[in-house]
Amino acid sequence: MGENVSENELLICRCEEISQSEIEEAIEDGARSLNEVKRRTRAGMGLCQGKTCGMLVAGMLARNTGLPPAELKPGTVRPPVRPIKLSVLANSED
Amino acid sequence: MRILDHPILGKIADAREVEIIVDGHPLKAREGEPIAAALLASGKREFRYTKRFAQPRGVFCAIGRCTDCVMTVDGIPNIRTCVTPVQAGMKVDTQQGLGKWGGTEGGNE
Repeated sequence: MGENVSENELLICRCEEISQSEIEEAIEDGARSLNEVKRRTRAGMGLCQGKTCGMLVAGMLARNTGLPPAELKPGTVRPPVRPIKLSVLANSED
Repeated sequence: MRILDHPILGKIADAREVEIIVDGHPLKAREGEPIAAALLASGKREFRYTKRFAQPRGVFCAIGRCTDCVMTVDGIPNIRTCVTPVQAGMKVDTQQGLGKWGGTEGGNE
């Protein structure tokens, strides 16, 4: 991951602060799915789990590789969908 | 600033005025409103500083999805202030990076 990225670049993943050029680099490097971009750059690995950047990265993948968007595999979504405290789960009735 | 008479939602509902502690300073807030609403009403717009570039962040999506507005609340880091209601006496701290458990880190303003 390029540590010489300028902080003024357009951010695609807001949580992990991954820029457009870093994602383009990952695609150039051979990433062909959301998960492959994630493993190369950390985009989609932050607090929101790709809710904000997932569509943007998918769009970039489709445009830069010519893959039809429908053929892009969705990224792995880690449950829970929304952040929740373990105490809430532990104290639930069922 | 608060919208007291919204053109569609109507007049703001009655709420008890409570005090919360923001970066060590007391702030009057309406009980039950989102923490982010109380902070914006007081003029605070920088809720945290990012880990990689230490840039300021505040409210972005305002519906609990993007996690940009997270702060350290009562010693617990990464609390989404836009969907967490104000309770009397809450301690709300500007978060640095991924935050720390327990500690008050304060703002760098």
